[in-house]
Amino acid sequence: MSGRVDRLRDALRAVARIARWETSRSAGVVDRQTAVLGLVALLLAGAVGGAAMVTGGVALDRDVYRIGVADDSPYHEVVTESPALAARPPDLDRLGRGVEVVVRQDRFYVADSQKARAALSTFRDAARRHNLAQMRDERNESAAFPVVVTLRYAERTPDEGVTSGGGAGATNGGDGAGGTATDESDGAAGTGSSEGGGAGGVDAAGGSTGDGPLGVPGLGAGGLLGGGGTSGSPADIAPPFPFGALVLAFVFFIPMNFVIQPYGSSILNERINRRGELLLVAPVSPTAIVAGKTLPYLALLIGVTTVVALAIGGGPVSVAAVAPIAILYLAATFVGGMFARSFKELTFVTVSISVFLTSYAFVPAIFTNVTPIALISPLTLVVQDLQGTGVTAAEYAFSTGPFYVGSAVCFLLGVGVYREEDMFTQRPVPLKFLDALNSRIESPRSVAVLSALSIPFVFIAELLAIAVLFVLPVEVSIPLLLVAVATVEEVAKSVHLYAGFRGPFAGRRGWKMALALGALSGLGFFLGEKLTAIVQFVGLPDLTLGRAAFSSAGVAATPTVGLLLLLAPLVLHATTTSIASLGATRDRTSYLAALVPAIAVHAAYNLAVVSTLG
Amino acid sequence: MGEPRLTIARRELATLRSEKTIVLALLIQLFIAAFSSFLVVGLVSLYDPGSVEGYETTVGVTGDASDDLLRVVDEQASMEGVAYDSQATARTAFRNGEVDAVLLADRRAGRVFVTATAPDGNVRTTIIVVQLRETLSTFERVERDQRSSSLAATPLDLPPRSGSTPYYGFSYTVLLPLLCFLPVFISGSITVDSVTEEFERGTLELLRVAPVSTVDIVDGKVWAAAVLAPAQAGLWLLLLDFNGTPVRHPLALLLVVAALSLLVVTLGATIALLAPDRRAAQFLYSVSVLVAFGGTTLLPLNPVNTVARLAVDSVGPTYPLLVVGYVALGVGAYFLLRRAVPRIGLVD
Repeated sequence: MSGRVDRLRDALRAVARIARWETSRSAGVVDRQTAVLGLVALLLAGAVGGAAMVTGGVALDRDVYRIGVADDSPYHEVVTESPALAARPPDLDRLGRGVEVVVRQDRFYVADSQKARAALSTFRDAARRHNLAQMRDERNESAAFPVVVTLRYAERTPDEGVTSGGGAGATNGGDGAGGTATDESDGAAGTGSSEGGGAGGVDAAGGSTGDGPLGVPGLGAGGLLGGGGTSGSPADIAPPFPFGALVLAFVFFIPMNFVIQPYGSSILNERINRRGELLLVAPVSPTAIVAGKTLPYLALLIGVTTVVALAIGGGPVSVAAVAPIAILYLAATFVGGMFARSFKELTFVTVSISVFLTSYAFVPAIFTNVTPIALISPLTLVVQDLQGTGVTAAEYAFSTGPFYVGSAVCFLLGVGVYREEDMFTQRPVPLKFLDALNSRIESPRSVAVLSALSIPFVFIAELLAIAVLFVLPVEVSIPLLLVAVATVEEVAKSVHLYAGFRGPFAGRRGWKMALALGALSGLGFFLGEKLTAIVQFVGLPDLTLGRAAFSSAGVAATPTVGLLLLLAPLVLHATTTSIASLGATRDRTSYLAALVPAIAVHAAYNLAVVSTLG
Repeated sequence: MGEPRLTIARRELATLRSEKTIVLALLIQLFIAAFSSFLVVGLVSLYDPGSVEGYETTVGVTGDASDDLLRVVDEQASMEGVAYDSQATARTAFRNGEVDAVLLADRRAGRVFVTATAPDGNVRTTIIVVQLRETLSTFERVERDQRSSSLAATPLDLPPRSGSTPYYGFSYTVLLPLLCFLPVFISGSITVDSVTEEFERGTLELLRVAPVSTVDIVDGKVWAAAVLAPAQAGLWLLLLDFNGTPVRHPLALLLVVAALSLLVVTLGATIALLAPDRRAAQFLYSVSVLVAFGGTTLLPLNPVNTVARLAVDSVGPTYPLLVVGYVALGVGAYFLLRRAVPRIGLVD
């Protein structure tokens, strides 16, 4: 007993020592010149962000459309006020070649092109905004704004009463959300976040016409969350669009993208010129080395996250919601650093990780205040925390569970190849991946374990599919989703079999072995899938899409049907994986070919289940 | 063995090909483009009721101003109004799904107070709220016209409605610049990696004992990376054209991308030579690129805007001057780096 405690204490001491060493070594590469350059760059970044904030954002579409309008026309002011419109002389001859729309004596002449129609539409919006601004200056408020609207959201169920207000109480957030159609997509590329935030903040602060019964000016946080205006003039009401989720995504994610760069470099550095060999022969386990190398970066990320959360007014829930994202970022980068052959390859791997995780966290968060779909993303928890809605334990487990388990599996796979024969060899990433899988296969039983471990990734992929397909009509999205789900699950169940037949089971490629492994893998997946029953607690199965995706997880409508269906998925998983397994015994082509019937059977089964239960 | 600089450039491209990273790069760009298009098509278009004509919304109208409001509702193409005598019957109809939304309009103190009830918790909510906003704005204009005698200024007549899609502006001002500049950023990052890796692996020493100068090495790396970006941008232009988004002035556009690519790649190479550790170099590179691009978007003639205006043909006859300006910038930076390389000194 005391021996075990001693060993544990030794291991922890080793981890701490490696963490200290990693910190001092990373700080050591920053010489004075680099530090000065970095400081200058950061100061400039701050200045640019501040400038964007002060000028109220940037207009990417400046002067894209040209409107022919005379200087004395009342529309001239409309054109000059709108950044996207440029004023030109009202020359009808140049219509279609130099101007898109001409205004003459209150008549509008429009060229016959898509561009001219877009110009007219922008012009119409600009005129509406101009009118609104003009009306705000009127003294007689009841004549300028004769209609006062209060927007309420109500449940459609017959026994529920009317619940008020889905928005965050920002009276004029509507303008901010409606007018930033271009900013969001720009932000998706990771370049326009500060501008987006600036635009939102300025709008929320500028709004003061809230003359309805709920006319409370939005607080800082309320404006940031911008959950759609709920009262005021008709132009002020807006659908529940959590503009804030977008801003949050980037405030929390930008530091992560910066931190995974040095982390990935540090991992790959160990593998260059056999530098990591010294550490490998030291009397510490690979797990301790990896833990020590990861800890400083994790601590840094959690520190930054805490600062960001404090700055935007979040509590411990926000930090607890974002921390798993940070861990998965690091875990995925670690695997990337272990697999990549060069810095260039590492860059692409880390960019892929950033893009994927950002969209995974971002897409569902758009639907905050709309549906339980939003809970797929931990960012929704942050939004709820800021809105003061509160977060239940089941919701937390549902949002962050895949992240925690997924990170654990990534580290497990990466540590598996943290050994001499894999670290210092140059092999393509897919082969390294197969090696990593093989390092976890010791006996046929491991196949079942690996299947079960793939569940969090399957879960992540399926939830992303739900979130992406959510906006399509149900007739289109359900079949697409069924095929996507079948594909993801079949690949997850069989890819390690393919690896196994190239590793530990290379000598036993008979059909009996293939069927046995296929059945085992199906069993492991079936057992793991039972864990996904947690979706029941957050109401996702209430949605048609949720039912479709998790039909085989045994989330059944009634107990009797549930009992009947309990064993059906087991048979299904075993059968389809055996089909794929037979193909995996041979080469890659036959594996891919065998996946097709496996996916088809799986999709057909899902369709049958959905149509009988739905 | 031919021109050594070309040999180095070819070797750079060959490693990219053998690692298949260029495929990954294209996939990432495609994903980002698809992702941002998804946002616009799937969500932002919901803010434009014109793009969701398929939905017919039925609205229950009640209250003492319901007659006036109902008249406006019936004028709307995508809306149908149903009058209810009392709030209670309207609410029951809403709960039973007979109407999609309820408007309760009451006249008080010379104004109309409208309480709009929309269903909670689905995507249709967005469409319904947008349609309600449109209808109520029209209603507001009608009511305002009746009170125009008490107003100091008369509101302008709105330009006619056009059947424009909201994707038009997005395609040219966001999607196209995104697809043009992502390859540029990626190229710069490749250069940083390529140069720092030579330091890390110690292979730079080997290259230097070969009969090539440091300038040649930098040249080869810069050329290889700088060529990649316009090639990818050209591919995206073709794809956009194929998808029905015609791009005007493609050559001028590619020239601008090539010039910026040379500029950004030069920046990457400079940073990598000054800070040869990849961790510091990549950090400095990404911050500088963010600053440079974020900073220029504040200028009236920023690269994003230039690309957008070239593509939609909203440039005046002087646009070749602008393109020449970009080229001069890129080439100028490149020659500055070439002159500076021997002085930076790659001793360690």
